[in-house]
Amino acid sequence: MDGALLSDTFVELTDTMVAGFDVIDFLHVLTDRSVQLLDVSAAGLLLADPRGELRVVAASSEAARLLELFQIQNDQGPCLDCFRSGQPVQAADLAAEAQRWPRFAAAAGQGGFAAVQALPMRLREQVIGALNLFRASPGAFDPADIRVGQALADVATIGLLQERSMRHHDTVNEQLQTALNSRVIIEQAKGKLAERLGLDMDHAFNLLRDYARTSNRRLSDLAQAFVDGTDALPALTAGKAQPQADGRRGRPATRPRR
Amino acid sequence: MSRPARVWSLVAEQAASRGGRVSAADACLAAVAAVHVSGAWLLAASGTEPGHLMRVTDGVSELLAELQLTTGEGPGPDAAASGGPVLASDLDEPDAGRRWPAFAPAARLAGAAAIFAFPLRVGAIRAGVMGLYRTGAGPLSGFQLGDALLFADTATLLMLDAADQTVRHAAAPAGSTGSGPGGQTAELTLHRAEIDQATGMLTEQLGVGITEAFLRLRAYAYAHDRRLSDLARDIVARRLRLHPDPNPCTDEQA
Repeated sequence: MDGALLSDTFVELTDTMVAGFDVIDFLHVLTDRSVQLLDVSAAGLLLADPRGELRVVAASSEAARLLELFQIQNDQGPCLDCFRSGQPVQAADLAAEAQRWPRFAAAAGQGGFAAVQALPMRLREQVIGALNLFRASPGAFDPADIRVGQALADVATIGLLQERSMRHHDTVNEQLQTALNSRVIIEQAKGKLAERLGLDMDHAFNLLRDYARTSNRRLSDLAQAFVDGTDALPALTAGKAQPQADGRRGRPATRPRR
Repeated sequence: MSRPARVWSLVAEQAASRGGRVSAADACLAAVAAVHVSGAWLLAASGTEPGHLMRVTDGVSELLAELQLTTGEGPGPDAAASGGPVLASDLDEPDAGRRWPAFAPAARLAGAAAIFAFPLRVGAIRAGVMGLYRTGAGPLSGFQLGDALLFADTATLLMLDAADQTVRHAAAPAGSTGSGPGGQTAELTLHRAEIDQATGMLTEQLGVGITEAFLRLRAYAYAHDRRLSDLARDIVARRLRLHPDPNPCTDEQA
C-alpha cells in the first residue's frame, strides 16, 4: 500500500471545512482513492435519501455505478444488506452467492465483478450509507485492505456529519440534496457530451472529470455550465463535432442507420 | 403503496376535492396537510430570474413570498441558487439573522418561526421554488423531510407540464400512476440516471435546451404509453432517436 498516498488521502478526507467544499467531489475522492490504495477494481458509494431510497452518489467507474443502481432497483445485494444492518458484508466469490442474491450475483458477473466488500458509513447508531469495493477476480479481501477501507469510510462519514455540529443541524440534509441534484446535472452533462462526441457514458464521464481536474473546477459547476450552454467546453468538443450551418451540432459517429 | 405513489395520491385527492385537473398548486396544498406546516407558497421560475408567485395558501405565506422577492434574501432565493433545499428550522438563531439580515426579522414579524424552501429542479432544469413555513420553531422530522421532497418532485413535474405551452399530451387522469406524472415521479426516484442521461442526449439530438429536451422525452412517453425509464434506456442504448420535428409520430425506431 502506498503510505504517502494513504496519508494524503486522510488529509483530503478531513478537509471538509474549506470554502467551496463539494460533497460530490469529496465522495469521488473517496471512491477513487479506494481503488488506488486497495486491491480492488472499482468502488461505489450509496447514501440514504430521506425520500426513503438509497442513491448512488459516487462511483469509480460506470460499471460500478450501474451495479450499485441495479441493487437499488432490484432491492437486493450486499451493499443494501450492509446499509440495513450497519455491518460489513463480504462476498469473496459472487458465483457462489446465487442463492443469497440471485439477481445481483448474475448482474455482477455480467458487469465483470467476482467479489464484493461492503462497508457501512456509520457514526454510532446512524448509518448514512455504504462504501462498496468490487474486485474482478474471486478471493477473500485482504484484512488490512478492509481495515483501511473502513477507516476511509469512517473519516468520510465524520467529515460529512461534522458539518452538522459546526454549522446547523439541517446542513447535512441540505448538502445531501444539493449533491443529489448535482448528480443529476452530471448525468445530464454525460448524456449531452456522449451524444455530441459519439461516446459511451463511461468515456463521457471520464472526459468531464479529467477536464474538471485539469481546469481546477468543481465537476458539478462544469456540468451545470455545459448543460446550460454557458460553457461549450471547446477543449473537449473542438475538432470532434463542428457546428453546422443551421447552428445544430454534427451527428455522432454511432448514429444508427436508417 | 410506495412513498411516491402515496404522495401522488394525496395530490390527486386534493385536485379531486376542488374538481380540477391536477396542478402544482395541489401539490403545494397537499404538502401543507401532510408535512404538518402552517402554510406554503409556490414560485414559478423564469429562466434564472426569481420568478413570479403562483400560489399561496394563506396571508402569511403571501407576505413571506413577497418579502423574499423584494429583499432578494431568504431560504427561497438561496434554494434557487444552490439547487438544494434550505431548511431554516429556527429563524431566531443567530445564523439566520446573519444570513438574511433584512428577511429574517421581517419574517418573524410576519409570524413565521421556521421556513423550509425546496427548489423545483431536475438537475439543470429549473421550474421554481416551493416554500413551507411554520409558526413554531423546530426541524422537519426525517419522514416529513422525505415527504416534502416528494411533494416538491411532484410539483416540479406539474409545473413543467403547465409551462409546456404546446400541450403535446392529454391531461393525465387524476388517479393515474402509469405513464402520467404520478408514475413518472416514482420513476424519477428509482431510475434517475438513465432518464437524466437520455435528457442530456436529447438536447443534442433535438438541438434544444435541457428543459425542452425533458418535456419532449416525457411527451413521447405519454404519446406512446411507455414507461419513462424504458424509453430512456432505449435512447441511452441508441436504439431510438428523437428528431427535431415536434410530431413524435415521425420519430425513428432504430
